[in-house]
Amino acid sequence: MTGDGSARSDAALRLHPLTSLGFNLLAVVAGASLPSAPLVLAVFLGLLVPMAALARRLGAFLRTCARVLWPFVVSLVLIQGFFTPGPSVLFRLGPFNYTLQGLEVALLFSARLLVGLGAATLLMFITRPDALMRALVERGLPNQIAYIVVTTLQIVPTFQARAHAILDAQRSRGLETEGPLPVRLRAFVPLVGPLILSSLMEIEERAIALEARAFNRPGRRTSLVTLADSRLQALARWLMLLAALALIVVRFILWRAP
Amino acid sequence: MESAVIAVSGLRFRYAGAEQDALQGLDLSIGEGELVGVAGANESGKSTLCYALTGYVPHFFSGTLVGSVSIAGHDVTRTPVSLLAADIGLVFHNPFNQISGARTTVLEEVAFGLENLGVEQALLRPRSMQALRATGLDDLADRSPYTLSGGEQQRLAIAAVMAMQPKVLVLDEPTSQLDPAGTRAIFEVLRRLARDGRTTIVLTEHKLGWLAAFVDRLIVLHTGRLVADGPPRDVLAEAVEHTWGVGATRYTRAALAARRQGQLAAGTRLPVTLEQALEVLR
Repeated sequence: MTGDGSARSDAALRLHPLTSLGFNLLAVVAGASLPSAPLVLAVFLGLLVPMAALARRLGAFLRTCARVLWPFVVSLVLIQGFFTPGPSVLFRLGPFNYTLQGLEVALLFSARLLVGLGAATLLMFITRPDALMRALVERGLPNQIAYIVVTTLQIVPTFQARAHAILDAQRSRGLETEGPLPVRLRAFVPLVGPLILSSLMEIEERAIALEARAFNRPGRRTSLVTLADSRLQALARWLMLLAALALIVVRFILWRAP
Repeated sequence: MESAVIAVSGLRFRYAGAEQDALQGLDLSIGEGELVGVAGANESGKSTLCYALTGYVPHFFSGTLVGSVSIAGHDVTRTPVSLLAADIGLVFHNPFNQISGARTTVLEEVAFGLENLGVEQALLRPRSMQALRATGLDDLADRSPYTLSGGEQQRLAIAAVMAMQPKVLVLDEPTSQLDPAGTRAIFEVLRRLARDGRTTIVLTEHKLGWLAAFVDRLIVLHTGRLVADGPPRDVLAEAVEHTWGVGATRYTRAALAARRQGQLAAGTRLPVTLEQALEVLR
């Protein structure tokens, strides 16, 4: 279960799920709209990092961002630097020029990736997926769509556990699963079929189980959990929405940056 | 038939694309509070019967259905499954796949069905906790369902359905993936549930020893037909004379062996439970 055992600070927990969602979406819009890497980085440092600290998840948040992002940053810095033309050449490598303009583009894209990834990570840390879905269902999102989103967020650990079980079974029948890359790639092939088939069977049985819980019953639903909200948070959500819209307008009308 | 909570007449069903009927002309009547076991070889139609009693046949599993199925006042062939769920509960064999995935704690998982039924918010927690206490899971209310053992997950599935207080509870091989301790725990839960006399329970099982000791009435399916219906002792004694693929309990096998060796009189009623075997030995 992702995020289930983590300790979230009370302040972050008290945020209504839609407030958390709005906050993170604002960060993403700001990151996508602002025209320079320092400004985008300011969004990360000024919005996301303090919220992660408030939720007492700063260490895990930064480690997750770093671990996922670094391959993309390295690729961007290399590719953009060598293949973006520009007048300022920082150094040459054979026939290739590494330009300052390319580095600037790479840093801007990297910063935007950082904000996007950071917002998604922070949302997972401070908001229970089922609480978020309850909030969206209360606002009119169909139950079925909410269910798909919640279970998709939880599918990775389930998939991993099933893949390990299948691999163990294959290993016990003599399949080599460790060693050089070609060996591991060959082991991947007999894993895929059983993994997909067992997942499909699980889908059918889970659908039956959901029907047994009246999941598709039309009509009013109640909720065990009451989502705490306040006028202040409702106002904050409106302000965040306006800020996001303003950023989009400014970005597409005033700056017209790539 | 008027007082029957389960009334099946002339039920015949063939799955779409199948060459043979899975159920052939079943007639069955079960009263309120009865505990009925269903035995039979693999492919005898047990699961299909469970799905027919709960509306998944024909609404979920398509095919050709003939006959009538009335459960708890509902014409199951015409009522959507989501509307049947309040009165007819289903628990099947895989504990893991019965976790909804929509909730993060055991308590919330049990309340999920009640939420979908629109049960008043003030009643959600008490009814859920009552179901958890009845299944011995109240200490685990705050745990993630995925951290429970297989037996605990199966009890959770039963609790989630029990909380909805169905009139009829159908269980399709609920202990097939459980060890002996898990099996014992499930049957103890069902015994507690059966004591109130309000819930009709239909249970399919291969574990004949448990079934024979638990149910009041046993029916046997063979190639989609109902071939025996009566007290477990009579039905299982009859089953050894036929090739229904039902098997026999260890006590029946021991008595048959004793009979073959002349240590038991030919007319002695065959036991199916430990108590009956001790009675025969006296």
